[in-house]
Amino acid sequence: MMHELSICQALLIRVAEIAAVNGAAAVERVTIEIGALAGVDPALLTAAFAVMRAGSCAATAALRIESTGVRIECLACGTESPAAPNRLICTQCGGYRTRVVAGEDLRLRDVELRLAGLPELAQLPPVPEPSGLLRRRARASGPGATA
Amino acid sequence: MCNTCGCAMKPADTVTIDVLQGLLAANDRAAAHNREHFDRHRVLVVNLMSSPGAGKTALLEATIVALRERYRIAVIEGDLETDNDAARIRAHGVPALQITTGSACHLDAQLVHAALHELPLAGLDLLFIENVGNLVCPAGFDLGQHRNVTLLSVTEGDDKPAKYPVIFRASDLVVLSKTDLLDVLDDFDPARAATALRALGGGVPMIHTAARRAPALGEWLHWLECELRARRAAPLRAPRVDAMMEA
Ligand SMILES: Nc1nc2c(ncn2[C@@H]2O[C@H](COP(=O)(O)OP(=O)(O)O)[C@@H](O)[C@H]2O)c(=O)[nH]1
Ligand SMILES: [Mg+2]
Ligand SMILES: [Zn+2]
Ligand SMILES: [Zn+2]
Repeated sequence: MMHELSICQALLIRVAEIAAVNGAAAVERVTIEIGALAGVDPALLTAAFAVMRAGSCAATAALRIESTGVRIECLACGTESPAAPNRLICTQCGGYRTRVVAGEDLRLRDVELRLAGLPELAQLPPVPEPSGLLRRRARASGPGATA
Repeated sequence: MCNTCGCAMKPADTVTIDVLQGLLAANDRAAAHNREHFDRHRVLVVNLMSSPGAGKTALLEATIVALRERYRIAVIEGDLETDNDAARIRAHGVPALQITTGSACHLDAQLVHAALHELPLAGLDLLFIENVGNLVCPAGFDLGQHRNVTLLSVTEGDDKPAKYPVIFRASDLVVLSKTDLLDVLDDFDPARAATALRALGGGVPMIHTAARRAPALGEWLHWLECELRARRAAPLRAPRVDAMMEA
């Protein structure tokens, strides 16, 4: 077993919550960000998603993974540079004390929902908890766009 | 008009909901809750990780023998390699709780939460959590511990930190274990292991231990006692336990 299964399960639970509060008919697409230092194998997560989504509101959803590379900042000279996950050393001065500024993320970025009926955006139910984190972005979909 | 069946309904609209939320947010919340339990009782909690057989249980046994007169210790056993790890600990007169992880490859905060309510936290100084033997899966799951310790035994490769950067970077301390075997092994170079660890940039310290044959625990016990003192000196956090999590 692999921990990508637990992560996929957590993802599907969160996606189902978001779909439910928004009264969605289905989930079209889920976009996540995986940093090279997140310890998650995108291929394993994709495989897990393809199996585990069955029977959920995301049964036909696409999973989009955005992989982010590692960037470090040198604590000695302040240089910011890209780095390999197992070589987090300053490219400028060779310093061994660095801070990772990108590449650790493991985040759900957004969820694209197909709405059941025709609620005007203004009438949609309020967005749930940590309200600062969730923002609704309207996507004008022309006729037939979701056929 | 709906262009699928021609009914009067408008075509289904799509909306994109921005989330920007960690995928392990639920685990992180549960871990924060565990940490509140630990902090209320001023217990130092150390999460031990390694590949299978690197010597986690043996190190715990030797540690208990060395410290049990002075500190009250308990162990949560999550390693499935040997079913009797908890029995090995209990034989030293210390409470040990075996988490049955089934086929899980790592512990998570909920599993630990269920276990900690069966332990006498109020009387403890030090709680060890022996994680599942695995250098990949446990790394990302916060359990509510204060310190992560990863064992690297000298019977593994000295390039392990380069192969598993995520878990070694997540460590507060790396323990080079089974160093009593160094003189009979010719392919493990502790300096190479230290260099690979240093290349991970975080300045994680590495110490040496031997739990068998010629035991060498000095650096390890010193580290533990410094951590125990620091925890005792830490200000007591207000007892606030999220009611939602009590279920
Ligand atoms: N020579 C030597 N053997 C050790 C040492 N620590 C553990 N072992 C042996 O390594 C094997 C696995 O140890 P164990 O503690 O069960 O590893 P765990 O799976 O990480 O808990 C056992 O046979 C131990 O006796 C050590 O410091 N020196
Ligand atoms: Mg063990
Ligand atoms: Zn796993
Ligand atoms: Zn530098």
